[in-house]
Amino acid sequence: MTPVSVDPNRLKLTNDDAANGPLAGTLIGFRCKECGTSVFGYSIFCQSCTSSELEPVDLGTKGVLFSYTIVRIPPAGWPGDIPYVLGQVELPQGPQVLAEVVDCEHDDLKIDMAVTLTVRAVPAENGGPEKAVYKWRPAKSGD
Amino acid sequence: MNNIRPGREVMVVGVGLHPFGRFPDKDLSTLAVEAVLPALKDAGVMWKDIPIAYFGHVYYQGMSLGETTLSKLGLTGVPIVNVENACSSGSTAFWQAYWGITTGLYDMALAFGAEKVPRGPVTVTAEDSPERYIGGDHMMAGYALRGKRYMEETGAPATALAQVTVKARQNATMNPFAHRKDTYTIEEVLNSRMVADPLTLYQCCPTSEGAAAAVLCAREDLAKYGIDESRAVSIAAAVLTSGDYNGRGADHSAFSPYRTEPAALQAYDMSGLGPEDVDLVQVHDAATIGELQQIESLHLFPFGEAWQGTVEGRTALTGDIPVNTDGGLLAMGHPFGASGIRMIHETVTQLRGEAGPRQVANARVGVAQCSGAGDVTTVHILKRG
Repeated sequence: MTPVSVDPNRLKLTNDDAANGPLAGTLIGFRCKECGTSVFGYSIFCQSCTSSELEPVDLGTKGVLFSYTIVRIPPAGWPGDIPYVLGQVELPQGPQVLAEVVDCEHDDLKIDMAVTLTVRAVPAENGGPEKAVYKWRPAKSGD
Repeated sequence: MNNIRPGREVMVVGVGLHPFGRFPDKDLSTLAVEAVLPALKDAGVMWKDIPIAYFGHVYYQGMSLGETTLSKLGLTGVPIVNVENACSSGSTAFWQAYWGITTGLYDMALAFGAEKVPRGPVTVTAEDSPERYIGGDHMMAGYALRGKRYMEETGAPATALAQVTVKARQNATMNPFAHRKDTYTIEEVLNSRMVADPLTLYQCCPTSEGAAAAVLCAREDLAKYGIDESRAVSIAAAVLTSGDYNGRGADHSAFSPYRTEPAALQAYDMSGLGPEDVDLVQVHDAATIGELQQIESLHLFPFGEAWQGTVEGRTALTGDIPVNTDGGLLAMGHPFGASGIRMIHETVTQLRGEAGPRQVANARVGVAQCSGAGDVTTVHILKRG
């Protein structure tokens, strides 16, 4: 079965077919036409000025590591590895996005380092299609 | 912004506390009643005198729990309001009680809170939330992200964060109600099990059970109920806020380290008092980093400098601005609905001069600050006489 976005309001899949290469996607949200504020995920009203004049916006796949922690005692239902790195990543448009940071050595993590979005398939908790989950990885030249 | 117009002066006239800890043989209502009765006794009033009650609690244990709890004291027909506002549920109940009296609706009110928090890491979202796959719904991980960034920006060493726990545990040794009474060295704090770097287990508050209660009364009505004015403590400010936009995102502790500041500024404005007038403070130290950022947000220390003040002993009982004098969340534990009123209990006890070995000398003005998911923040300022 084809993986589905863990939250279609936050992650738009740009490739969900393994035959075409790795899973891929981009973060999405809304931008306020009145004050210019961008928010991650679904909004009906602007979080900053409360305007209803919002337009969908592609928030891309790049960010900077504002902070991170290595979670050794996970929350209930966590389906991944333990420990895992949780990153607080600031997008160029302003919003911050919490997600796991993968493909990294703990010692190589640095606050304010560049990171790139990656999409990974995670088994669904109650069966059904796998969840395509957005995660971060250290940016590489050529990203 | 709404213009805050308090009316008549409101005082805390009675406080009661059930010890915090684990009580498998008591249900929530029993815990709550065992805080309410001492509060009524402390005030010298009867349950039948109370015209309204507000009950702070978070975990669902059946509908209209405040009503079923207080029915044990007799059915008096008064309004009873159940309040859920995350970790600030109890302090929100207290805030409502204040505003009900100051505006003239009621002479007196009971605010109480109780909780039996399940063991294990605390999460905020519902079970079918995408957060379960994303891994961000973890209270202590949120605090850890704040801690990591704070250390990077301020140069605070891990030992400075650990000192917050060392101090809390020392204060708790003088508090018979505390969940945890063992003291630790900085090394023991840092060597305890890592929860989420840089926060070790002893830097995270225990999840607990407990209850707290307060009776409030209009100053002009004290005589009517035969209440002893000499032990009454005045409420100089009562402020409740939710999150405002901060450019990063909404509703996660990691995103909003300084949401206390707007509530603090309103409270100082309402009371006519400033940070320089504050003799002691109770803040939301769910994790060590929380205490440091809260006391900065209350303008008791410049931003980025609370860690240094902590290392210098300024926040200890013997310092110039004692913080979490009863042991705080870190030693008392954190029964969500009760914690906010537990802070009021400690502030009132200190301002009355009844805190025994942990008494802060000449305490006249105390602040109680509580935070919760949803960026709920309460700031109350209490003063003697």
